[in-house]
Amino acid sequence: MARFAPIVPQKTSDWLMDEQYQHGFSFSTQDYALISQPGLSQRVVELIAHHKNEPVWMLKKRLEGLQIFTQKPTPTWGADLSGIDYNAIHYYLRPLSENAKSWQDVPKDIQTTFERLGVPQAEREYLAGVKMQYDSEVVYGSLRQEWEKDGVIFLSMDEGLAKYPQLVKQYFGTVIATGDNKFSALNAAVWSGGSFVYIPPGVKVSMPLQTYFRINSENAGQFERTLIIVDEGASVHYIEGCTAPAYSSQSLHAAVVEIVVKKGAHCQYTTVQNWYKTVYNLVTKRAKVEEEGEMIWTDFNMGSKVTMKYPGFLLTGKGARGETLSMAVAGEGQHLDTGSKALHLAPYTSSSIVSKSISKNGGQATYRGLTHVSPNAVKSKNKVVCDALILDTESISNTYPTQRVLTSEVELEHEATVSRVGEEQLFYLMSRGLSEEQASKMIVQGFVAPLVRKLPLEYAVEMNRLIDMEMEGSIG
Amino acid sequence: MLPSPSNQPPILHRYDQPNTRQVLYLEEVGKHQVEIAATGVELTIIGAFSTKDTDSLQVELTVIHQARNTQSHTYLRGVAADTSQLYLSGTIIVHPEAVGTNAFLDERILLVSPTAKAEAIPNLEIEQNEVKCSHAAAISSIPPEQLFYLMSRGLSQPKAIDVITEGFLRVNPEWIA
Repeated sequence: MARFAPIVPQKTSDWLMDEQYQHGFSFSTQDYALISQPGLSQRVVELIAHHKNEPVWMLKKRLEGLQIFTQKPTPTWGADLSGIDYNAIHYYLRPLSENAKSWQDVPKDIQTTFERLGVPQAEREYLAGVKMQYDSEVVYGSLRQEWEKDGVIFLSMDEGLAKYPQLVKQYFGTVIATGDNKFSALNAAVWSGGSFVYIPPGVKVSMPLQTYFRINSENAGQFERTLIIVDEGASVHYIEGCTAPAYSSQSLHAAVVEIVVKKGAHCQYTTVQNWYKTVYNLVTKRAKVEEEGEMIWTDFNMGSKVTMKYPGFLLTGKGARGETLSMAVAGEGQHLDTGSKALHLAPYTSSSIVSKSISKNGGQATYRGLTHVSPNAVKSKNKVVCDALILDTESISNTYPTQRVLTSEVELEHEATVSRVGEEQLFYLMSRGLSEEQASKMIVQGFVAPLVRKLPLEYAVEMNRLIDMEMEGSIG
Repeated sequence: MLPSPSNQPPILHRYDQPNTRQVLYLEEVGKHQVEIAATGVELTIIGAFSTKDTDSLQVELTVIHQARNTQSHTYLRGVAADTSQLYLSGTIIVHPEAVGTNAFLDERILLVSPTAKAEAIPNLEIEQNEVKCSHAAAISSIPPEQLFYLMSRGLSQPKAIDVITEGFLRVNPEWIA
């Protein structure tokens, strides 16, 4: 196709992240309280359980997880996982011997890290509560008094297990079984950190709760475990952010997030994933939604080498609703395999999945989804929309949705498009005096705008800036 | 999960006459592989399938664009009745050399019995950016207002269902215009 404007030579050879990934710094690990030897064995699992002083049932669960992990083969249907060297990874890295009670007690290095990431400022300004996880442990946390007074529980998973063992035992592993997949089994075996959230009936937490995940060490494995219980009629918005230093060796992040949304409750879970491009991000996230409940996943993936993540919802109660808004930006050397699973198990349930992906500089973005309607889920509705932009000839975009219906009286729709930035759109903007790069950025921002709008304002601004940065020099 | 087709080799359809317009009617179930191997080929693929009683039907279509400026428009229709199972899978693959591809895939399944089962899988694998590819898939039952319309005009319910499914499976003249 003839071009209407001359190609302006631009330097695209270097991967942008190397210069522009601002979170690539790291600090020494020599003051760490404990770093397990690389590799996974029963000893490592027992060591973790011992250090955490856990009840026996949890150790049993961990060992069961280890056994399933070793037995299950590595999945071959998605991204290439052959590069993971399980024997090189440290499965447990404890930065502090004891968690800090106040911000002043947090060691300088860790303070500097989170200051640079802007977390304490956000905590002061617009968060109801915050948790900061540094390698394997949550090092600091807070919750505003007004919510504490209402009975909101926001603890690290370890504290949660120590203080509310009954509640944890009742829900732990009920939404995602240990043997769900290889990486949920791995998480069950070596989990550490993550959040435990309980919102009592009718309490509406109007400000977001946030956890910030930071990998600091080389060859680190981070396996946080999050359990969120939103009781009847309550509502909460939980946000997680992730970054890691620029190491050349690989790290592994395999989290499990379980959410229980009770009758009439509402939960939004937002992820802003910006790992460095050597991190394998293999995460299992699922919510069980009861009668008239609502679950919204907003899932933004920009970083990591490989991401395989399909946040899902089990719509188990009449009239339950699920929504996923997923965005992926895949650049050089990245394979982001994301999507969503909607399981309709009760009548009158509805769900919608909107996915937008951008692939550039040889990156690969994949949408992989499943809509399953069980025989008793009559009058259910589902809509899946996937849009993909491919910015150059080396990049790849795939779409694999599956619709499985085991009853009639349902409405399922799916649409997908793959295209590049339109010539006529570019022409329109450039004829009004924008450079090609400015015009492309504007078009890409418009492309993702419907999703970014769903974020709280402060995050939307940050997200737009991140996307702008990612687009820098990638046009042409 | 419904059974996916066995490992039998696919039925091959190859189009290597440049700048021609072609129509392919899929009549057999099983695996089909369509290769668009010459510049400027415009291909329309139409397949209509219905299952009843305890049938279990699988159709797996792969359309591969290997040449420049090619077009494919695929329409798959299915009706599943009684306790039958219908599996429709369509994949569009665009190779890096297939610059200027325009591909569209449309899968629709009508379930006319509460015990019928269906699975629709539309896939896209795109390795070139100068393309326009899209797909759509829908699974639904017969809208009650359509039944009501026909029954209010004197058709019995089974007859009304017959009329609607027949229309649903018929080739739309616009597809091949």
